[in-house]
Formats: sequence, C-alpha cells, structure tokens
Amino acid sequence: VDPYGFERPEDFDYAAYDEFLTAYLAVLTRRALKWSRLLRADGGLSRTATVKRYVRKGIPLEHRARVWLAVSGAQARMEQNPSYYQQLLQGEGKPDLEEAIRTDLNRTFPDNVRFRKTAQPCLQKALFNVLLAYGLHNQGVGYCQGMNFIAGYLILITKSEEESFWLLDALIGRILPDYYSPAMLGLKIDQEVLAELVRMKLPAVAALLDGHGVLWTLVVSRWFICLFVDILPVETVLRIWDCLFNEGSKIIFRVALTLIKQHQAFILEAASVPDICDKFKQITSGSFVMECHTFMQKVFSEPGSLSMTTITRLRENCRVALLAQR
Amino acid sequence: WQVSLAEKDRMPTHAGSLSPALHLRTPLLKKTSKSKAGSVPAASALPSANGARPARPGTARPGPEAPPNGPQQPGRLSLGGGGDFYDIAFKVMLVGDSGVGKTCLLVRFKDGAFLAGTFISTVGIDFRNKVLDVDGMKVKLQIWDTAGQERFRSVTHAYYRDAHALLLLFDVTNKASFDNIQAWLTEIQEYAQNDVVLMLLGNKVDSAQERVVKREDGEKLAKEYGLPYMETSAKTGVNVDLAFTAIAKELKQRIMKVPSEPHFRLHDYVKRQGRGPFCCQS
Repeated sequence: VDPYGFERPEDFDYAAYDEFLTAYLAVLTRRALKWSRLLRADGGLSRTATVKRYVRKGIPLEHRARVWLAVSGAQARMEQNPSYYQQLLQGEGKPDLEEAIRTDLNRTFPDNVRFRKTAQPCLQKALFNVLLAYGLHNQGVGYCQGMNFIAGYLILITKSEEESFWLLDALIGRILPDYYSPAMLGLKIDQEVLAELVRMKLPAVAALLDGHGVLWTLVVSRWFICLFVDILPVETVLRIWDCLFNEGSKIIFRVALTLIKQHQAFILEAASVPDICDKFKQITSGSFVMECHTFMQKVFSEPGSLSMTTITRLRENCRVALLAQR
Repeated sequence: WQVSLAEKDRMPTHAGSLSPALHLRTPLLKKTSKSKAGSVPAASALPSANGARPARPGTARPGPEAPPNGPQQPGRLSLGGGGDFYDIAFKVMLVGDSGVGKTCLLVRFKDGAFLAGTFISTVGIDFRNKVLDVDGMKVKLQIWDTAGQERFRSVTHAYYRDAHALLLLFDVTNKASFDNIQAWLTEIQEYAQNDVVLMLLGNKVDSAQERVVKREDGEKLAKEYGLPYMETSAKTGVNVDLAFTAIAKELKQRIMKVPSEPHFRLHDYVKRQGRGPFCCQS
C-alpha cells in the first residue's frame, strides 16, 4: 500500500521505484525546508513569481491542501460562505443525482484501502457527500463520471469534505472549461485543441492518427476528464495538479504534448487503430512518468513555447468549428 | 477505420487487456509488422453505404450481398507472432446505461473471471480483444466498452458507425436501465450502420431477489424491435460466452457466403443454445 492508501499492483517495479525514491527524497527534503520558510514569511499565499517557481518544483504533501486552497481561490470562497457546504447537504435531496453518484461509489478506487466498505472511516461516505453537494451547487453540471476520481483525490489530500468541495468548485467552476456539463463541449474543444497543437508541434503523430481516421477522443478523453487520475502514477498526478491549481488548465496540454513527444517514435510504429490506442495507453506508464520531478521539468521544456494567447485562439477556433458541425 | 485482415497486432496474447505493460516492443514483432504494413490492402468487414435500407433497429440480418470493399476470403493472412492468430476481425460495441455491467460482462468473456469490487467506472471508451474459434475459423472480436452515462453518448456515438455488432445491455435489477433501452435504440438507429448486428441482453440475472424486470418484459421488448434477447450474468457467467459466440457466428456467416453451409440464423441459434431459464424461449 502506498502513502495514499492505494495497493501497489502485482507487477509493481519496486527496484526501479526505490531507486527513484532515494533521489526524490533528497528533493522533497530540500523543497520542504524552502516551503516552510516561504509559508512562515508569507501568511496569505499570493500568486507571485516565487510561488509559481516553488509550485512547479512540487508542493510538499503536508502543505499541499493549504497551498491548493490558497492559490485556487477556494480558501477565500470557503471563508466567504462559512456554512454553505453543510446547508447544501441538509437541503432537499435529488434522487436522480444521488442514484448516479451511488452507482459509482463502489467503482471509485476499489484498489484504495481507505475507500473500502470495511475501512474506518470509509471515504465512500465523504465522496458521496462531496459529489452530492457539488451536484446541488452546480446544477448545470450535476454529476459526471470522472468527477468521482477527482473528488476522491481531493478527499485523500485534504482529508476534509468541505475543503474538497471548494477545491472541486475551483476546478470545475473556474479552472477547467466546461468538460463535465451534459454537452461536454469544453472537453470536445480541448481535444481538438490538443489535436491542433500536435499538428503544429508533432506533425508525424498527427498524420498517423488522421491517416487512420482516429478521433482524438478515443485516445485522450480520459486524460482531460480524469485529469490524469488512474492514468499516471499518483505522485505525478499530484505534481501536475499543483500547477493546475496555480496556473490553470494549460498544464493539461503541456503534459499531453510531453507524453506524446517523448514517445513519438514508439507511437509511430503503430500500424492499426487498436495499435494506436494501445501505444497511447503504454506511454502513460514506466519510469518516464514515475520519475515525477524530472517529468515535470520536461513538461515545462519539451513542448516548447505554449502561450495562453495560442490556447485561447485555438479554443475559439475549435468552438466555432464544432458548433458549425452540429 | 478499416479492419485489416492482415492487421498485425504487435501484442502478446493478453493484447488488448488493459495492462499498461511496457515490455511489448520485441524487435522480432516490430520487424514483422513493418514488413507487412502497407503492403497488404486493408479489407473491411464493415458494411458499406450500399444496400441502404431503412434505418431501423433490429435489422439483424445479413445484407443481400457483400459490400464492394468487403472482407477478403480469409487466407490465414494474419498468422503472426505473439499468439494472436486470427482470420478475420470484427468490431463489437457494448452499450447501455451506467452500471448495467458492460465492463464486467466483457471481463467475464475475456478472462472468465468475475471479481466483484475491482472495476472502476468506465470513462470515455476502451477496448479489449478476444479471438474465438468459430467452426474452425479464428474470429477476432475487438470489443469496445463505453461509458454509460448519458452525456458520454455524444462522445462515443461517433464510434457506432464502425461497429459490426452492438450488444445493448440493461440490468434486470434496475428498471430505469430497462426503460432507457428505447432511447438507446434511437441513438443506435441514428448513428450505427443500418445492418449492424444487434442483440439485447438483460444482465445480472443472478440477483433473483432484486430482480424487477421480468424475463417476459425483456422478451416482449426484444420482439417488438425484432432483436434476439438473452439473459446473462457476468457474475455466474451464464450465457456470456453464448452471446459473444452468437455474434461472432452471425458476423462470420454474413461475410463467408459458403453455399454448402446452411444459413445461420442468430435468433434460432440463441433459442437453441440458450441455457437454463435465462434465455428467450418464445
């Protein structure tokens, strides 16, 4: 079982992991010292250049919840609306919503001991509450599969329902485009934006997928919907989320582009659609993604420049194109 | 896309399973695949746009003639390394409401296992392969598993078009999943090929106590739309292999057109082979 309660898979490579961890522990220790100093000096974390640099190098686990809450604005909203979360849960129920959430409770992290029915406390109850409260709070979204995995991670990190709720609100309400609303337009747009970026930066891969008529949905929809949960190793996902909360949704494209670029030659070996799907699954495991510190450095160097202006323009173009297709 | 008869999966026998193993790049297989890639014309068993018949669900009958770009006669083109031998490949999609047991059914068929509480919700779309022996021919089913939640339909229905067969599931312990079958059929009618092989499955029949949809209800609905109907349990395995085998037989029969072979009829097969009280005997 790892520090977050996930059981290690049977084929887990302990030797490689230990080697990585030895080096990473030194990094963690150094970062923890620096963060302690920063947090002592600056009571309210503002989004300064220093904080940005620190966040990119990883937030220590003991400060993670606090920093996520601060930089995402979740803390401020929570303080402005002190009993809002409890009120949502005490208010009128919504049977359809509850049923949809309940269907996924047993299917969220069955490999995590803290989500087992036998666990004390069992986090399934917290997961249900957070998802229900969010669905009632944002009725335009309600509940969408994938949110269960995100809320699950938030609960594991914050160990607080209310904080998880406000972080979920920061993600879905402000940081991410509308991935989860019934039309899933934001998801479709961002998949197309990624396709465009790959066409620009990695044309051979784009040509392969286009040549086989593969829609990007097939290979990357889970990357966006689950924000890499259950796709990349836990520690790596948390490092990505550090940047997601602080810098916004652009990081998802950076991660996707880094994964594809690093494995370009491997992907190009694919000769069929199932092959392509398989390769896209395989590139999300192994030492490259496990070594989260190096991985995050690559995420900011490998894809090259990626301005928010470009993303915004591509999103707008793709939105127009998608709406025209209807 | 096209399913190539010569498509070479560079994957070991567990290919298509979800294990993210990274040890698949063996030089031999890589070489083999490269030498073949592009040199063999892709053939598809996908029904083409010809034979445009009225789109209505339930036309589970072979087209009058093979599509012009139809599959080649199997010639063991696909004998390849890694143990993934097959003569012909088809795409099958699993659809139905969230939580009706699509992934469980697929894993039961693929691995013969039912591990309660080990499945996560399927987000988006995923696939697994299984090669079946159908009357001496190796038929590879490429089975696409989809998220059941309604909003994901707009993400997954683009793939219906490429499916040769659809297994439409509901949960016999969940009335809503049964009531939604009509909506699914509308979706299928709009997006799938006109002559897609379609079968209705009532899953979770092991839960006799919690059952709320009677067998007769399932049969009645299936009859109304001219669909074969079976009751399955991913937990006990009842009728699971049969459902997929029936699909494979139907698909193979459609494209083989061997005159000496008696015409295969999916409905009759399902009726004849269905085990226990779970299969339609109307």
